[in-house]
Amino acid sequence: MIRTRGLVKRYGAFTAVNGIDLNIPRGEIYGFLGPNGAGKTSTIMMLLGITPPTAGEIHLFGERYSPRRLDLRRRIGVVPEKHPRGVWHWMSAAEYLRLFADIFEVPRPNERIGMLLEKVDLAAFQKRRIRDFSRGMLQKLSIIRALLADPDILFLDEPISGLDPLGIKQVRDLILSENREGRTIFISSHQLSEMEKICDRVAIISRGRLIAEDAMERILSRISSDREIRVELETVPAALPARVKGLPFVRDAAAEGTVLTVKIPREGDFRKPLAEFLISQGLVALSLAEKALSLEEAFITITQENVVELAERGRE
Amino acid sequence: MRKAFAVLLLVAAPLSLARADVPVRTEQLIYSVIAFNGRDYTPTFAPESSRAIYLLAGADSFISLRKTLVYFWPLTGRLQTDTQTLNEQLDGTLEVRDRRGRVFRSISLQRYTFFNVRGEYEQNWKVAVDADAEREYQRYLSLYRSFMKSIDDYTRANTEYLAKLKEMSDRIESLKASGRDVRALQEKMSSVPRPRQPDEPADYVVPPAPLQQAFVVNLPPGQYRVRLINPDGSIMEGSDKRIICTTPRRSGSVGYQVIPSDKWTRPEESKTPSAVIYVNGSADLYVSVFFQDELNDLAYQKTLDNAARGNPNVFSWVRIQQVPHASLRMSGADGTASVLDERPFTVQQSQGSSLGYTIVPYDPQGGQKSPDLMAFRVPVSTGTRLIRLSAVDNGGKPLPESGRQIRIVSPEVPSLVFALLAIIPLAAMIVVLAMRRRYSRQGTTPQAE
Amino acid sequence: MKASIRSGLVIGWRQLFESLLSPGFYIMLSVGLALGSVLVAGFTGSIGSSGFDPQASPLYDLISRSLSGAFGSTFVEKLFAEGPFLFALVAAFLPVSVYLAIASVFRFAQERSAGAVELLVYGPADGTSYILAAFLKDLILSAVSLAFIAAAFAVEAALTNLLLGPLFLWALAALFLLSASFFAYGLLCSIVVVSSSSAIALFLGISLVFSLVFAGSFTIVGAPVRTLSSTAAAFLSWISPFFYAGMIFRGVQAGSQGAVLAGLLLLAFLSALLVLAGRLIIDAKGVRA
Repeated sequence: MIRTRGLVKRYGAFTAVNGIDLNIPRGEIYGFLGPNGAGKTSTIMMLLGITPPTAGEIHLFGERYSPRRLDLRRRIGVVPEKHPRGVWHWMSAAEYLRLFADIFEVPRPNERIGMLLEKVDLAAFQKRRIRDFSRGMLQKLSIIRALLADPDILFLDEPISGLDPLGIKQVRDLILSENREGRTIFISSHQLSEMEKICDRVAIISRGRLIAEDAMERILSRISSDREIRVELETVPAALPARVKGLPFVRDAAAEGTVLTVKIPREGDFRKPLAEFLISQGLVALSLAEKALSLEEAFITITQENVVELAERGRE
Repeated sequence: MRKAFAVLLLVAAPLSLARADVPVRTEQLIYSVIAFNGRDYTPTFAPESSRAIYLLAGADSFISLRKTLVYFWPLTGRLQTDTQTLNEQLDGTLEVRDRRGRVFRSISLQRYTFFNVRGEYEQNWKVAVDADAEREYQRYLSLYRSFMKSIDDYTRANTEYLAKLKEMSDRIESLKASGRDVRALQEKMSSVPRPRQPDEPADYVVPPAPLQQAFVVNLPPGQYRVRLINPDGSIMEGSDKRIICTTPRRSGSVGYQVIPSDKWTRPEESKTPSAVIYVNGSADLYVSVFFQDELNDLAYQKTLDNAARGNPNVFSWVRIQQVPHASLRMSGADGTASVLDERPFTVQQSQGSSLGYTIVPYDPQGGQKSPDLMAFRVPVSTGTRLIRLSAVDNGGKPLPESGRQIRIVSPEVPSLVFALLAIIPLAAMIVVLAMRRRYSRQGTTPQAE
Repeated sequence: MKASIRSGLVIGWRQLFESLLSPGFYIMLSVGLALGSVLVAGFTGSIGSSGFDPQASPLYDLISRSLSGAFGSTFVEKLFAEGPFLFALVAAFLPVSVYLAIASVFRFAQERSAGAVELLVYGPADGTSYILAAFLKDLILSAVSLAFIAAAFAVEAALTNLLLGPLFLWALAALFLLSASFFAYGLLCSIVVVSSSSAIALFLGISLVFSLVFAGSFTIVGAPVRTLSSTAAAFLSWISPFFYAGMIFRGVQAGSQGAVLAGLLLLAFLSALLVLAGRLIIDAKGVRA
């Protein structure tokens, strides 16, 4: 669906994006992550055709893409981070959507607008002026604006920023629903917990370079090849960690207070033998749970590794 | 001692101020110009600070170089010359060079005169030089002397006539007193021929000017540089000047002079061909027609007066001369047409205590020797809305750009009407905003289709 | 139709609608009409038995003295030759055109800063669409204003028996194109600088320079003078809308329809050139503020 080869963007002597190759297949929810100043915005601007790349190629729907390809832009829906403040505030929601429907030449626009407003529970507010909309309502309005032309790709930039938990859930459900209908979703966000929940693949960019692009599972596994199991016991004998370490399937074990932390390989499920061992030791496990690997940790790990690697390269 | 000094200061101060008011005179080499401006000749001068002299192309103008005193006169805000103190005309040859610096013409000093001969047209200017000038001027002088002699003879004859009338009148009175028949004597008295006042020589509208010496300059349109070559062949320092010769952009167009019957001393001119003559309809109009030329405003103003200012981007219509033997076609808003002939009129003061005057047709038998004006009488009333005028020559051919409208304006339109027109946009605003508000509240917002 | 142009028309229509919902447009139109009407009424009050006498009205006495002092009495005579409507038209249209120009400059810069242009450009629109939209909106409002002013003056002329002559019609066309050039300059200023206040300052500065250059070249002078400033002014004239307006005026004076049409065409060409320049700059700079 979207493919880039050697994408570069320079602003004078400063290189914001330095040879990025992205590959976003059809039907995926693709997360695009990076620390501040990594080149995310520059990359997105090039993908959207707002700014031309200094070098490299962008292919959209199998065709070479440039800012002049307005025909390809019809097939992209964009939800920017912020709705422009003070602009179009005099319009009602329906008028606002009709403006974009006309620009995109949406067939039977009023019908389409009505259907989308129903979808996000804004039908009752279609005649209300935009200036009276809350943050969450504006975000939903922005999303259905992007969906007016039934785009093949939906670009979302910080779609849940500033929303309350209910709003976040609504937006998440909407994104997942659109994806189920076959839409490719491209999300850029700092809300890594949300990204972890919905993204199929993520790309991590740092200092203008793509440092990771993979399925979510594989990204998470890059933190560690081990799984971590936390066992809460009534008492933890001092020798217990050493004894647990002696088990063939245990990589490492440590105790802190009444919590025993055991590292076991990712492949295979060794919770049962562990539980049996503890019972054999006369211990009662109050709880046994696997610590979830988080995208946040993966992100920090990957980006920090990249910083170190770059520093070492610099020293060499 | 101090007191004496203070008194001296008090006396001297006003004196010093008085001395400061005296303009500073500086000796300068000036160009004295008598330039033809399309209508007549007007004198002006170009001081050293002036960069150019403006002349009408294709017409004789007269230039001389003089040394004189020049000073700034605050009362008029202009430079003046003090020719009474110093007025030394310089001899030599005026060298005229074109834009490329090539000598275009060398002009020598000549004795000249200029005059306007009476004819069918007002403008019959003639220029005579050297012997012809002398001859023409002498002819004028002899005509003038002859006329003055006729005046003397008339004065003498008139005095005798009046004396005779008085004598006869006295006799009639005394015979009446003695009861005798005086009819025969009265008849005799009324038959005494009155001496006829001699007519002024009709040859000239403007008699020949006294002979003077100057360079007679007549150049084609363009820009030139001039300087004086002294008799010894050297160049007169400070004599370098530009001459700009212009021609009318358009000629032969027709303008109108409009004299209302209630304000004959304040005529208006309608010169712009597209102009409309707006009047309030309170008085009939006496219209005369003149030929006009279109000249660059700056060039024309500076031809009249070298120190004048003008707008180089604007062209002025300049009245040249009255159109002879013209007729005026007049038509009203209803299409009815008539032809007016130019007639003579005189202005008669109102009798009695009331102020004012009336314009009446000229009666040759009346006391006035000549009419006050020749014009077309255009009747106007407040009931008239529109009068169209166009002038034709004596062959019936329409004169160029002579069409004009006279519109009688209705100033009594209430200002309320104007105010209402200005308020319409505000009313529209209120309606639009109200509609928008209503639709927003009702939830039936109009779509911007 | 090319997508960007089509989008420009759609956006422009909405902007037009928004302007018609804004009180500012109507207020300025009213102010202009009031000014024009005062001038017309003053003119009719200055008509005597022989014609127009400015000294009969304090307002016109002031106007004619001021204009004569600056531009010469011939200029004043030509200005009022057909009646008051030429001068009244300029006076009536000035508030509206200034308002439209400044409002557009402010709005364009503000919307660009807010990201509205970027939002539109995500779709099948580009910088050209937005420039076209703003420009067309101003042209339409300008035409509507002129039409309304002309209609109001036609009513006043009918009531007072004054004439709306051919010069008035030429002036309508000239003012329309003159305002178009200034609208284009305004858009260019909004594109070149980021903040709305800077854009307005730049636009007003440019307009003031053009006005001064024009006034300086049109005033009465003692003699044509060539100085550094007049040379600079001669260069600036070529990019000044007033230069072409002056060309139209001179053509009307000379009775040359060719010169008038040439001036009108050149004004239109200048506007097109400025819009094109704006398009090139926004394409190069991008729509992001």
